Amino acid sequence: MTDHPLVQMRGITKRFGGVTALQDVNLEAYAGEVLAIVGDNGAGKSTLIKILTGVYQPSEGEIFLDGQPLEMASHSDAIAQGIDAVYQTLALADHLTPAANMFLGTELTRKVAGIEFLDNRRMKSEAARVLDERLGVRLRSMDVTTDSLSGGQRQAVAIARAVYHEDLRVLVMDEPTAALGPQETARTLKLIKALREQGLAVILISHSLDDVFEVADRVHVQRRGRRVGVVETANSTVQEVLGLIVGAPANDAA
Amino acid sequence: MSAVATNSTSRSLMERLEPYLAIIGPMVMILAILLFMGVAEPARYFRLSNLNLILLDAALYMPMAMAMTFVITQRGIDLSIGSIAALSGILMAFLIKQYGFPAYVAVPLALVLGALMGLINGLIITRFKVPDLIGTLAMDLVYRGLALVIAKGLVLARFPEMVTEIGRGQIPGFIPVPVVIGLLTMALGYMVLKQTHFGRYTIAIGSSPEASEMTGVAVDRHKVYAYVLMGACAALAGVMLTGKLNAIQATSAPYFNLHVIAAVVVGGTSLFGGRPSMVGSLAGVLLLSMMINALVTLRIEFFWQSVASGVVIVSSVALYTWIQKKDRDGALGLLASLRSKEAQRMFRFSAALLGALILLLAIGAGLAVDPTPSG
Repeated sequence: MTDHPLVQMRGITKRFGGVTALQDVNLEAYAGEVLAIVGDNGAGKSTLIKILTGVYQPSEGEIFLDGQPLEMASHSDAIAQGIDAVYQTLALADHLTPAANMFLGTELTRKVAGIEFLDNRRMKSEAARVLDERLGVRLRSMDVTTDSLSGGQRQAVAIARAVYHEDLRVLVMDEPTAALGPQETARTLKLIKALREQGLAVILISHSLDDVFEVADRVHVQRRGRRVGVVETANSTVQEVLGLIVGAPANDAA
Repeated sequence: MSAVATNSTSRSLMERLEPYLAIIGPMVMILAILLFMGVAEPARYFRLSNLNLILLDAALYMPMAMAMTFVITQRGIDLSIGSIAALSGILMAFLIKQYGFPAYVAVPLALVLGALMGLINGLIITRFKVPDLIGTLAMDLVYRGLALVIAKGLVLARFPEMVTEIGRGQIPGFIPVPVVIGLLTMALGYMVLKQTHFGRYTIAIGSSPEASEMTGVAVDRHKVYAYVLMGACAALAGVMLTGKLNAIQATSAPYFNLHVIAAVVVGGTSLFGGRPSMVGSLAGVLLLSMMINALVTLRIEFFWQSVASGVVIVSSVALYTWIQKKDRDGALGLLASLRSKEAQRMFRFSAALLGALILLLAIGAGLAVDPTPSG
C-alpha cells in the first residue's frame, strides 16, 4: 500500500433537483487495497460510485487520479482513464457466449480483404486466458450461452471484461455478492482478493458486513449523504461499523 | 435465471437438443409435408418442374427472411415490407418505363430507395420512440398509399431482360437465378450474423438492451441498420417480384409481412429476441412455400392458403414457447392445469359464449323468412 491515494474524491456534493444525495463527501482509495463502501439504503453509496465512474457529474467537488484532476463527461471517459465498474446486474447479454460478452463493445477483429470481421477464435482464447490467469476460473465450455453459467461464473465473466483492459487501475463493484449463495460468494471474494494482489484499487459496495470484513482493508461508511467514518477492518469490529451505519452514539470509535 | 426444479433426465435431453431445435423443428415439418404428399399426390408433387416452382416461390422470400431475422432478433418487427416491396417495384418500373432509365441503374436505385424507406422506419422507432408495431404498421399504410398515388390503377409490364432475369431467369442445367440470389443473401446474412459487429450487437441488443447500452453498444444505430437492411431486402424482393411476373402494380405483394415473419418464427428465431437462426429462417421459408404448393397441388381452394399459414404460425410459436419453457411441470401438467379453478372458469366462459352463438343461430333459424336476393 502506497502512502498517496490512487483515487481521491474531494468535497463531492450531488444534488438532484431539491434533494441533496451527497454532501461534501471525501473518498480515498489506494492501489492494492480493497475499500468497502457501506451504508443504509439512500445513504448515497450508489450515487458516489456513479460519480466516480463518470455516469453522474458532481454538483460540487473534484476527483483526482494519481494526483491529477479528472474531468469525466461519461462512463466511457472513466473507462479510458482506467476506472471501470461491475454492476450488480453484471450487464451481460445472456444469449451470447462468455467470450462474446467479455468483448462486447470492444470486439477483436481481423481484416479479410480489407473488410473487418470479428475474430471469434482469438476472442475465445483470450477470454479463456484472462479468466484462467487473472481470475483462476475455468469454464467447462466456452461455447455455451452465458445464461447457462452459475452466478459466480457470470460474475467472473463480468469482472474479466473489466480487467481485460491492461490499463485498468480502479475497479468498482456494486453488490457483487447480493444474489449469490454461500459457495459462490466465497468464490467471488476470492476473485476480489486476486484483483487486489494484482495491484488494483478495488472499491466494493456491499450490504453484507461479513463479506466486507472478510475481504476489505478499509471501510468507508456513508450515512444520509455524508461520510460518517472510515475504519480499518483490522482495528475494528462489525459492531462499530454497524453503529456508524445506523448513527448510534459511538463509544470508542473515531 | 430460472429455477432448476425440473426433472433431470428430460432437462438434459432438452439441453442437448436445444441448440438444434431451430433446425429440427422446421425439418420435421418439412418431412411431414413430404411424407403426406408422398402418400396423397406423389406424381405431381415430386416432379422436377414442381420443385422448381417451390424454389422460385421460396426465393422471393429469402432476402426478406434474412433481414427479418436480424430485426426480430433485436426484439423488433417490421410490418411495412410488403408495401416497401410494392413501392420500390413501382418506382423502379416508372424510372424504366417513364423516364427511360437503364435497368442496371434502376435496379440498384430501387434497392437504395427501399433502404431509405427502412431508414425512415428505423428513425421513427428510435428517434420518435414510436413502438415498432405501430410505427411500421402506419408506415405500411404510407408506403402502400404512395404506391397507389403514383401508379393509380396502372399495371406496369414488359421490362428489360435484366429485370426478368432477376425474377425468373434460369441458369441452364442449374437452379433459377432468383434462387441463387435468395441463397446468396441467406449465406451473406449468416456470415454477417456470426462474423460482424452488426451481427454480434444484434444478438446483444435482443438479449439485453440495457446491458448493451451499458457496455457502450450504440443500440439505436444498430437498430436503424437492421431496418435499413430490411428495407433494402424488401426492395430486392420487389424487384424480384416485378421480374417474376414481368409486371407490377400498387397492390402487389400483399401479406409479405406476415408470410416473412411466419417463416422466421417457424424457423425458430425467438420473438423475444436474442436467439437468431438463419438456417431456421431458410428452412421456414422453404416450409411455407412447400405447404402452399402442396395446397395448390391438392387443388384446395386458393383462399385456404391464408388459413393454413395462420394455423402453422400459431402452432409453431406455441410449440417453441412450450419447448423453451424451463420449468415445465411433469407429464401430467397439462391435464392437472385443466382441473384448476381458473381453467374451469375459463371453460364456463367459453361455453357461455358458444351457447350465445347457438342460441342466436336458433332464434335466427326459427324466425327466418324467404331470403330476398340482394341485387
